[in-house]
Amino acid sequence: MTGNPPPGEPPDVEGGRSDDTLMTERAAEGDEDAFAVLVRRHAPSLLRLATRLLGDRTEAEDAVQEAFVGAWRSLPEFQGRSSFGTWMYRIVTNRCLNILRARRPQAPLNELPDLPAPAYTTAPDRITEGRAALHDVQEALSTLSPEQRICWTLRTLDGRSYAFIAKTVGISEQAVRARVFRARRQLTHSLGAWQ
Amino acid sequence: MTNLPPETRTDPDDETLPCGRLLSQVWADWEEGVHDDHTTQCAHCRLAVADLERLESQVRALDSDPAQQPVDAASFIDRVMDVVRLELRPGRPLPLGETDEDLRIMENVAARALRRAAEEVPGVRAGSCRLGGTPVDVDLSVHVPLTTPDVQALAQQIRDRVDVTAHERLGLHLGEINVRITDLVSEDEAAPRSAQEGSAP
Repeated sequence: MTGNPPPGEPPDVEGGRSDDTLMTERAAEGDEDAFAVLVRRHAPSLLRLATRLLGDRTEAEDAVQEAFVGAWRSLPEFQGRSSFGTWMYRIVTNRCLNILRARRPQAPLNELPDLPAPAYTTAPDRITEGRAALHDVQEALSTLSPEQRICWTLRTLDGRSYAFIAKTVGISEQAVRARVFRARRQLTHSLGAWQ
Repeated sequence: MTNLPPETRTDPDDETLPCGRLLSQVWADWEEGVHDDHTTQCAHCRLAVADLERLESQVRALDSDPAQQPVDAASFIDRVMDVVRLELRPGRPLPLGETDEDLRIMENVAARALRRAAEEVPGVRAGSCRLGGTPVDVDLSVHVPLTTPDVQALAQQIRDRVDVTAHERLGLHLGEINVRITDLVSEDEAAPRSAQEGSAP
């Protein structure tokens, strides 16, 4: 009964770390083409991250777009202490945290995002099961505090280490562990009913 | 929830299983792949782990649900860049040609041409390119291949390319050309050249 611990920090730079550094320098000096390279390179993973954190693709796109535009504005002051990817990851995570905090505590069920039709490659029996479960999980996730939800999502879905999450969110590793534990306890309770 | 919870070893929300173990510890051990004789045999611990495993497998299955996957990143990227292009930072105007001519080139336009010139030297990738002063001095940062036999000679080649481009293509009279080598990169660290042109990965 060994767990399946996610890896610490999966690589998130596809175009080469060295090239990312150069593109960041150029973008900081106002080269929008270099910034476009960075956006193209990092948008897919950041969109995936924000969608996981918020559970809503439209909101996720807005959050990531604002994060990129904010990054473009503050790039001239960016000191390059971390990589562009790590910097953006932090910006997007904290923006999502603020969005979750601003949400009304209990969103009515009818405000949950409507689900688009699944791809035709998905087996029909799995669709029904999957869509029902999605609704239940989203409902269960909405009962978590924003902090719990962020820490749990980064740990479980995004596979980040406790140390990485602590640095990203700006709290202690111990606090991250406590939040992930509470989230797991809450979720196993909430979802136990439909097992 | 603005205050952080007190960082105590025992979480007030923790639970002691009938076997005496703390739920948080059982789950932490599972996550880290730690197990002892007790955990492999205790029905309570195994049940707790099974609950967590079921939760994790359910949410992972959900995570791969097509409804959760962002689609059409291309149009998203276009939208971001449309906003960015409304807020360009072209830099300062630099004097072109002779002193009595009233010609100017924006710093960024010149920097872009000079970076490209530096990159005509095989293996060279240009980053920061700052221009300023009268005559205009250039401070250029580059990454060069780890395998470069003579870094000094390469720097001179870069300087020459930059100088020729500034003179012949831009009509920009340069003062000093300072080339800073900020990294020696191996092949696999460097990106494919296509990334520079901005083609989709």
